[in-house]
Amino acid sequence: MADETILILLLSDSNLPTGSFVASSGLESFLKHGFGFVPSPSPIPLPVASGTPSNDSGTIGGVNHSHPIPPTTTSISKAEAITTFIRDSLSTYAPSALPFVSDAHYVVSALQSSGGGKEAASRTLELLKELDALYEAMTLNHVARRASKAQGVALLSLYSKGFSRPPGLGLHFSPPAANGNANASEGGIDDATDADTRMATLVDAFKLAVRRGDTDAHGHLPVCWGVLCAALGLSLARTQHLHLYLHARSLLSAAVRLNTIGPYAAQQILLHVGGALVDAQLGKCARLRTGVLIAEVSNSSTDGGAGTNEKQERGWDETTDGPATTWPLGEILAARHDLQHSRIFNS
Amino acid sequence: MTSATAGCGRICLALHGSDAIFSELSSTYPLKLLSPRNERAGLAVVYMITYGGGLVSGDSVSLSVDVGPRANLVLLSQGSTKVFKFRPGQRAASTDALQVTTQRMEFSVASGGALFLLPDPVTCFRAASYNQLQTFHLAADASLVLLDWVTSGRKSRGEEWVFARYYSVNEVLVGGRRVAKDVMLLEDGDTLASKLAPYACYATLLLYGPQVQGVIRALTEEYGRISVFKAGGPAGLLWSLSALGDGGAVVRVAGNETEDVRRWLGEALRGLQVVLGTEIFRRALG
Repeated sequence: MADETILILLLSDSNLPTGSFVASSGLESFLKHGFGFVPSPSPIPLPVASGTPSNDSGTIGGVNHSHPIPPTTTSISKAEAITTFIRDSLSTYAPSALPFVSDAHYVVSALQSSGGGKEAASRTLELLKELDALYEAMTLNHVARRASKAQGVALLSLYSKGFSRPPGLGLHFSPPAANGNANASEGGIDDATDADTRMATLVDAFKLAVRRGDTDAHGHLPVCWGVLCAALGLSLARTQHLHLYLHARSLLSAAVRLNTIGPYAAQQILLHVGGALVDAQLGKCARLRTGVLIAEVSNSSTDGGAGTNEKQERGWDETTDGPATTWPLGEILAARHDLQHSRIFNS
Repeated sequence: MTSATAGCGRICLALHGSDAIFSELSSTYPLKLLSPRNERAGLAVVYMITYGGGLVSGDSVSLSVDVGPRANLVLLSQGSTKVFKFRPGQRAASTDALQVTTQRMEFSVASGGALFLLPDPVTCFRAASYNQLQTFHLAADASLVLLDWVTSGRKSRGEEWVFARYYSVNEVLVGGRRVAKDVMLLEDGDTLASKLAPYACYATLLLYGPQVQGVIRALTEEYGRISVFKAGGPAGLLWSLSALGDGGAVVRVAGNETEDVRRWLGEALRGLQVVLGTEIFRRALG
């Protein structure tokens, strides 16, 4: 089954051991500080024209029989508060993290499809560290930094321990050809094994650099997500989409465990609003890049490689095409996470 | 005549004996640099002023600042930096309508020197679009106080977060190594006000180096004493502190009113009075 479906199923499994269940990305602090439940003067605009759970007072409580939530204004405003938080959190996470996901995916895919030797591999590692160092410098809130590193390193371990080929088994998974990676699909098992080995070596080297405490290697989540997905052969578009979707889903999961909304309401929000919010941010941020690869791309453009990314990065303007945070209030609240007298999440 | 202008400024400050002396202090329209006399040894003050009290769309201002070894420079503005879509009383040509106002500043601070960048906040009027790009090159033992703040607009005219776009970068390199690159973009159209509510002023304060260790220590202790219990609604002022590398801190503040934030900053930075003297400190944060 050499297509992306199995990868997407695996990567979106909530049992995936990435440690994301201890992160609320600032939601716990947001609620503790009394945000979200103050009646807002105007209704919150959502990118969905109808079918949102925000105005129909019967919807959220009504479908939920085993966890009865009375259809009161309180439950509605809680669902609204969570929805608004997801909107605002995505609106800052997407432009700040997605450029790093995209660039990490690009450099690892390039290495995989080039069939490059040791030199190309060590150059790739250098670029990953450069991306990681930039993300570290741009993530100034210590709680978000901590959470990002913990989850990123877990993804690297997941690749080497969870997605490598079990020894002694004849069958193995061939990465899909979605990245223009002709070697893996046409060259049969030998080439695919070569590619596997190359990726395993790269991921292990990156993980080692992080564990060793190299100054530039931190193992931040967006960089590691890009590495993992590219190593598995997931396309860039899927990689970006899944990353934002999982961000939204883990916020809803946190909201349920904080007992703010019920599990049915969480599904309802994810289906009817979450998807549209993710799509809206993808529309804005899928094209953003970090700027780290501009020099790289112009260096390699003489030998004709690069393709669409080269075009995208030519004329890159950091004020319109680069990473940025967009929610200073979210930064403050997330950084204040550790000040809570009692808390159940780690971020 | 066009409404957009490009102004350049250059400040070079060096220490001669105990006097901080400008080897260069120049600027072109619409930027104006003024240095009032002051009594503090080793320290100079410069006001950055724009003619007409603000910038319009298409304006660009670039400033380059060199602070020599052991010299101290205080940079202030006179009132908030106002960013208009159009210069008041002037109808801009339609081609200017979409142009961004840009301020680009490069600072370098040599060994033992210090830069205190303490301007008033930026206020973007309705539909204005503003880019501010600041880069700080610090020697390993240089010090920096960087205040960058923005208000929701002309509240008196009912403007709350109705500018088109505000983009601010603060990049700090110490000994050539990037320790922070804070990039903030505010441009969500209809949802911007709701996501920044109830606050009308946001400030970022970046502290680095030997001269601000006392301030950082005091703030870190105060921050550590905060214990948050379930609140019934948002507080009037919120702040956070994160450590930055060795000997630095990033402080963010949000307040219901700009004056609340100003008062808080004055209190938080009171340790700087020793360095700046009461008179200059009062002018900066009074």
